[in-house]
Amino acid sequence: MTETKIPLDLILERMAEDAEKARQRASRASDVLLGELHYELGSTPYEIVYEEDRVKVKHYFRNENADRTLKAPLLVVYALINRETMLDLQPDRSVVKTFLQEGIDLYMVDWGYPTSKDRFLTIDDHVNGYMDNIVDFIRRKHGVPKINLMGICMGGSFSVMYASLHPEKIKNLITTVTPSNFDTDKGLLHVWMKDVDTDRMVRTFGNIPGDLMNFGFLLLNPARLMIDKYVGFMENMDNKEFVENFVRMERWIFDSPDVPGETFRQFVDDCYKKNLLIQSKMFLGGKRVDLKKLTMPLLNFFGEYDHLVPPEACNQLTGAVGSKDAQDVCLETGHIGIYVSSKFQRQFAPRIAQWLKERDQEDAAEPPSAKRKPDVKREAPLKKPSVRKTGARQKASSAAKIIRPKTAGKDKQSLIQKIAEAI
Amino acid sequence: MADAGNPFPFHESSVFPWLKTAADMWLNLAKTLPPNSDTTLKTQTAVQNRFTQQLETSLNLFKSFSRMMNEPESASATANTMNALPEIFLKMAGSGFEAAMQIQNHLMEKAARIGKRTEAYNFDNLDQEVFRALSEVYEKELRQYLKIPPLGLTRFYQERFNEMLDKHNLFETTLAEFLSILYLPMEKSFNVLQEKLKQRTEEGNIPHDVKESYAMWLKILEGHYMNLFKSKEYTDALHRTLNKLEDFLIAKNEAMRDFLQLLPVVTQKDMDEMYKEFHLLKKRVKALEKKAGISPNTLTVVK
Repeated sequence: MTETKIPLDLILERMAEDAEKARQRASRASDVLLGELHYELGSTPYEIVYEEDRVKVKHYFRNENADRTLKAPLLVVYALINRETMLDLQPDRSVVKTFLQEGIDLYMVDWGYPTSKDRFLTIDDHVNGYMDNIVDFIRRKHGVPKINLMGICMGGSFSVMYASLHPEKIKNLITTVTPSNFDTDKGLLHVWMKDVDTDRMVRTFGNIPGDLMNFGFLLLNPARLMIDKYVGFMENMDNKEFVENFVRMERWIFDSPDVPGETFRQFVDDCYKKNLLIQSKMFLGGKRVDLKKLTMPLLNFFGEYDHLVPPEACNQLTGAVGSKDAQDVCLETGHIGIYVSSKFQRQFAPRIAQWLKERDQEDAAEPPSAKRKPDVKREAPLKKPSVRKTGARQKASSAAKIIRPKTAGKDKQSLIQKIAEAI
Repeated sequence: MADAGNPFPFHESSVFPWLKTAADMWLNLAKTLPPNSDTTLKTQTAVQNRFTQQLETSLNLFKSFSRMMNEPESASATANTMNALPEIFLKMAGSGFEAAMQIQNHLMEKAARIGKRTEAYNFDNLDQEVFRALSEVYEKELRQYLKIPPLGLTRFYQERFNEMLDKHNLFETTLAEFLSILYLPMEKSFNVLQEKLKQRTEEGNIPHDVKESYAMWLKILEGHYMNLFKSKEYTDALHRTLNKLEDFLIAKNEAMRDFLQLLPVVTQKDMDEMYKEFHLLKKRVKALEKKAGISPNTLTVVK
């Protein structure tokens, strides 16, 4: 048997070089870490215009000098998991800023931090309670019958439910990384949730702790999120800007409010286990959520590499709704990359603004009862989905348009980008 | 010293004569005490009389007991009980020792199979024997002591406390198994990396720096984790751990509630009941407000 010879001298020489570099980096890093750092989130100015229990609504100041300002305001509904600050993570990567520059009058729901007294709040309380009150408040404030609605992740599912139950109040609907079909085994969350005993969980925890859910999310990709991320930090900790952005991301990831127990139970049982939403069989406050009643224009974004909400969980919605103006847009990134990756800053928010502007031509003061015949437009038809029997009507579909980044290739990805895509 | 077949003749020992002598001495001493000391305050007399009477009764009881123990039959019965005690202790120690031996045997078996557990990227039929054995040992040998039915007024409190200890032990064992499964990809990825490095060295293409090796390892590790997370074994272990954690937390909360009831604080159960009522009331108020056209916006000052 021949023994393989390893050039030890060469390896040791390289190790010595690396050690010297590491020493120099550590010395510079101490200056950075002990110096003044700015890592605040959500730095774009806003005012709180609405408050009900723990829920608040932020109103941002748009650029009134934009080329064209939108008549109908836009309400953004974030998920109950993590916080809406992700849309305004850092000054140069802010979906909020882009919307304002594009002349959108922007409102955003801040769900706050549920406490023990919120454990009995159901999805109905969130959708037909808080959301409906907020939409009415904005409609009254602007004197318009309809507003634009954008939902993110679980907030997107809430928005789909709301738009189906109150179509007369919504002009256009944008859903981003929104799960609507839960009968898929592509995402680990979908696999794990199938056997979760929600009764026991709610009985044990009351509200489901944010830390417990965060631990579950870390387990989705421990190699990247628990090892590589911090190795990357060690390699770049002498770079002040990098450290600030890294800490911002870290603060956002671990700023995770608890989820009201009853809402969690209903979301897991009705959606993850029974897949009722896409089949139009879900009930809220005694009323059926019929997706056929969702007739307003719909723009549906999702990430090709999303581990939390895989494309298969998102791409059946446009086929199931009553709207004839429905588009799927698949971006070549992960769950969070859509919003925070520098590569997609031009493909996401500006595109939404453009889409809204194209549909804002009509008079925003259109009476709620007037029926608008939507344009039949499917710019990006569906990718062939791994369809299960959901009962939903399938429209003619082919592959969704996959948008690839126009910027540098994969080797030049920054660490923040990698983290964003790993989530 | 008595051997195992011939137990120590307890009743023949000097314990019983000593018991009798001691009882007589304390009784005589008690009789020498004056029934009422002149130095004591009158207010204390009643209490003191009661104390003396109590002492006398106790000593008489002690005396009767020592006399009874002098009887050969009684002494023999007691001696038998005393002889049984070491047997009980031995039995308890024996089951503990057996448990330790079982664990050790499983560990030895596992050590002999190191490196032969499973193939790379394959997580079917994981060898989790050690942890199953650990659970089995706990459930069969040790758990029984926590399941001894408690008696008396505080039996329910003891039972809940024992339940908490039991659930904690079960959770710890399951968590150990889960963590071991979670560590498996690490173990496997190092083996695969070693093979890859060997292969590249043979080809004369060794990695240029640590970063390259690290990137290679990370990719292997990620692949292993993805395979593991999709396996039924992992999903089962995850749910088992979560269930055991929930069992423990429920048991802990119930034991804690017993303790909190002693303090002037409300328990979680009280609060939950109140929250539910509060939630239902709030819903009704909001519905009425909506009918009356009252805005639910509680904001008074624009921030």
